[in-house]
Amino acid sequence: MAEEISLNVNDRKLIEISQALGIGLNLEEMHKVRDYFYSEKRNPRDIELQAIGQAWSEHCSYKSSKSILKKFIFGIKAKQNLLVIEEDAGVVDFNKDYAYVVALESHNHPSAIEPYGGAATGIGGILRDVVCMGAKPIALVDPLFFGDLNFDYKKLPKGVKHPKFIQNGVISGIRDYGNRVGIPTVAGMVYYDVSYLTNCLVNVGCIGIVRKNRIISSKISKKGKKGDVFLLLGGRTGRDGIHGVTFASTQLNEKSEKEDRSAVQVGNPIIKEPLIHVCLEAVEKNLVKAMKDLGGGGLSCCVDEMAYPNFGAVVNLENVLLKERDMKPWEIWVSESQERMMMLLDRKKVDKVTDICDLWDIEYSIIGEITEDKRIKVNYHGKTILDMDIKFLVEPPVYNRPYTIRNLKEGEKETKEPIYEKTILEILSSPNIRSKAFVIQQYDHEVGARTVTKPLQGKIESLTHSDSVIIKPLSKEYKGMAIAVDSNPSLMKISPYWGAKYIMDEVCRNIVSSGAEPHSFADCLNFGNPEKPERMGEFYEACKGLGEFAKALGVPFVSGNVSFYNESEYYSVIPTPVVLGIGIIDDIRKSIRTDFKRNGDLIYLIGDIKKEMAGSEYYKLYGYDFGYIPKCDPDELKNKIKAILEVKKIIKACHDVSNGGLVVTVCEMMIGGNIGASLDLSKIEMRTDYKLFSESSCFVCEIRERDFEEFEEIMKKNKVKFHRIGRVSGSRLKIIDKEKSIILSLREIKEAFS
Amino acid sequence: MIAILRMEGTNNEDDIYNAFAALKYPVEMVHLKQFTGEAKKELQRNIFDYEGIMIPGGFSAGDYVRAGAIFGARLKKISKELKEFVKEGRIIGGICNGFQVLTEVGLLPGIDNIIVSKPQISLAVNDSAKFECRHVFLKHENKCFFTEKYEKNEIIQVPIAHAEGKFITSKRILEELKENNQIIFKYVNRAGNYAGYPFNPNGSMENIAGISNLEGNVFGMMPHPERVFYPYLHQEKKKVGDGKRFFESIIKYLRREV
Repeated sequence: MAEEISLNVNDRKLIEISQALGIGLNLEEMHKVRDYFYSEKRNPRDIELQAIGQAWSEHCSYKSSKSILKKFIFGIKAKQNLLVIEEDAGVVDFNKDYAYVVALESHNHPSAIEPYGGAATGIGGILRDVVCMGAKPIALVDPLFFGDLNFDYKKLPKGVKHPKFIQNGVISGIRDYGNRVGIPTVAGMVYYDVSYLTNCLVNVGCIGIVRKNRIISSKISKKGKKGDVFLLLGGRTGRDGIHGVTFASTQLNEKSEKEDRSAVQVGNPIIKEPLIHVCLEAVEKNLVKAMKDLGGGGLSCCVDEMAYPNFGAVVNLENVLLKERDMKPWEIWVSESQERMMMLLDRKKVDKVTDICDLWDIEYSIIGEITEDKRIKVNYHGKTILDMDIKFLVEPPVYNRPYTIRNLKEGEKETKEPIYEKTILEILSSPNIRSKAFVIQQYDHEVGARTVTKPLQGKIESLTHSDSVIIKPLSKEYKGMAIAVDSNPSLMKISPYWGAKYIMDEVCRNIVSSGAEPHSFADCLNFGNPEKPERMGEFYEACKGLGEFAKALGVPFVSGNVSFYNESEYYSVIPTPVVLGIGIIDDIRKSIRTDFKRNGDLIYLIGDIKKEMAGSEYYKLYGYDFGYIPKCDPDELKNKIKAILEVKKIIKACHDVSNGGLVVTVCEMMIGGNIGASLDLSKIEMRTDYKLFSESSCFVCEIRERDFEEFEEIMKKNKVKFHRIGRVSGSRLKIIDKEKSIILSLREIKEAFS
Repeated sequence: MIAILRMEGTNNEDDIYNAFAALKYPVEMVHLKQFTGEAKKELQRNIFDYEGIMIPGGFSAGDYVRAGAIFGARLKKISKELKEFVKEGRIIGGICNGFQVLTEVGLLPGIDNIIVSKPQISLAVNDSAKFECRHVFLKHENKCFFTEKYEKNEIIQVPIAHAEGKFITSKRILEELKENNQIIFKYVNRAGNYAGYPFNPNGSMENIAGISNLEGNVFGMMPHPERVFYPYLHQEKKKVGDGKRFFESIIKYLRREV
């Protein structure tokens, strides 16, 4: 049963209580808790302190990030916004009758401890976030960040798993869960850097589609009425996933392996798959008043957040179906066991929902009902063990943490020109550039028969990377969505502000080069310890960059997640904002792919290529830690977007310039088309290596010769710089730059890339 | 009416459903429990109310034991009815996991009997030892009721998505399959020649991708024709989806004059 705990003790003892319960509250917060129970004129019970610990954790409450997010990211007005930021996922206008739903979050800490289970349950969680809006999930994305795969085993810090082990576990976890639930994993990225050695980043996003008159809120609206019941359905509640959120809100250390293992949940896709059927059928039949998934903070956070601000709730904890007997009440209340959903139903409609559950063999139980007194009350075998003001629980303290901003140091230095052929092949074969087919093909990216342009594009026997993937969400409509996800750690490392802007620019480039127009964004912000002013400064700068850029484009952030404490005593992750971009294309049959199509076609470079070499793959290869960072301008990007979309019907292939520079872009286009290219860069005024390896905001386009006048005219009209740089031809890459000539065979290029 | 048979973990049923629906052929989703008498009375269905049953891809019951094994075992409850069903010339098709189910339940290869009690074919773990999702080339070796509308020896492009698709059988069954023209699809390269990995994506014996029973009314294949029903779903641009004629063939057969 619930134990009573006295808070009438000194400060040292208060902290000891917080630590002993594992709830992660600091002294200031413990004082607030003590004051609250003074006002209630009684001592708290363990379950009550646990409930506060969950609700007030960084993970659930965004207490360190909220004020900055409000300042920069939230509140970008756009007519497509339907239900954004406040819910588990953002709901955005798609067409007259349908909306799409976007969610993106991290599962970093669990994946560092238990890569397979951590990554798998990450998918489980994001699917529930989309389903609980009433939407059918139609695509998953998985950006991943690991330590250096060749890291010396002997130098591995104690308690840290090798990146190879983590990578293998994470990819298998995503594969085995995603493929089993039958939602295609269509996009992602894999990036390696030593800063992710002790804290890998496993982000996961999901896109869904919902009929507008079936959108379900997780908040109980005023239409709810006293006596409406909470139906808990899906998996049973167990001891797996206890304290997941408080564990995600602290730094990992060498003891984490032992002590926090139980914070990682256990996933079961074969409950999730029918659970999704049940939820969507109940929604379709208009039986559900509100729905929320059980994730961080378990039942406690779920019930609080559903009821607030219009209602209170009373829950009879003995009605929760358990995986194991003898669980303590507080464990039941905060367990984050997977595959559970909560519905609020009119009592008269319960049978209709449970009939659907029975067909799919989904277990369920009625665990409580809503009340009008705006308090949360938990009974256990007839005795009240939790009785608190709901507002106190769900409105935790908000912090304006101190931050320091580091100055950007830039400057170019004299370098020697490299041996070109060797350098190009080395860059193509570097871990962050080379083909990710070994990951992508393990994911079912076709299930659902909606994936129009694929994550790997080109000829069946010679595939290359895509920029974004085009999905056709509705069977009776050709309108589609482009999905792209990006980050750029190597620029973020130099400047969180300009790095963030580059990421925004790149995600838009990826959408546009498929022929779609940017429509909404979701962000997952992975940072270090927010209690350190320099980390908070990185967070501030990154949010500023992201928000300013999105505002200038007029494209909103509709959903997001913050993950702090990705830091250990050895490393802190490079500040890594991941941006998921959604674009809209009116007709999916007009989408553009990255592979070169036909011998003799013209190749154009669109955009202004500059000597912006800091953080480039080329400079990293040679260990150069200087140079200027690319400074992306949203207004310039807008012109490029407008120009490309205007001529898209004559563009045969398009790929943006990013990591590795122009030469990598052209090589990738060659690989997909299984055909060569011949370039002449003499008219661009710069040293050859800067032209080839600069990562400035540009595109490469393939055009039929007969269309060149129309193409150039529209570029000029939109004030976009362009260069005609060559032709698709033969079976090798030939680059002329004045007297210089670089030649590589397609075979050599493919070998390096694969 | 076609029944698309589903249970927990089948997850390609919408794609097959949509293909029949697009061709305006009556189609219904049926949960396995609705056939086996385990569902509520008003939900129960009789298999003889349908002309055909399609078993979709996915991971039925999670495929933790062996792909298709649990679905197969549960389906055996109605093996008598299934036998009668096939005997009457109705059709049963299985794609990917559905193919695995048909071999587990013993409806394929359908040589010694319509249904055999012990599996004679195994769809084993791919030689690459991993799940692979990508498009492959298939050669249409022989016609059956599911492929009437394809030309003999035609090369088509269809995606695969499986970890267990390596076709293995005994020498005797293999010889009989050849003799009886029961091998319907084989994996080939672009030129149409039998080739090894990556063209044969799983190491299947003699590059076998799909087979039928003797009469041609029970059929299973690992690749997914429903995922290339429309031209825009192809890896490489096409005017018509290569998978469309698969469904047209079935409908043509079901609409035949008896």
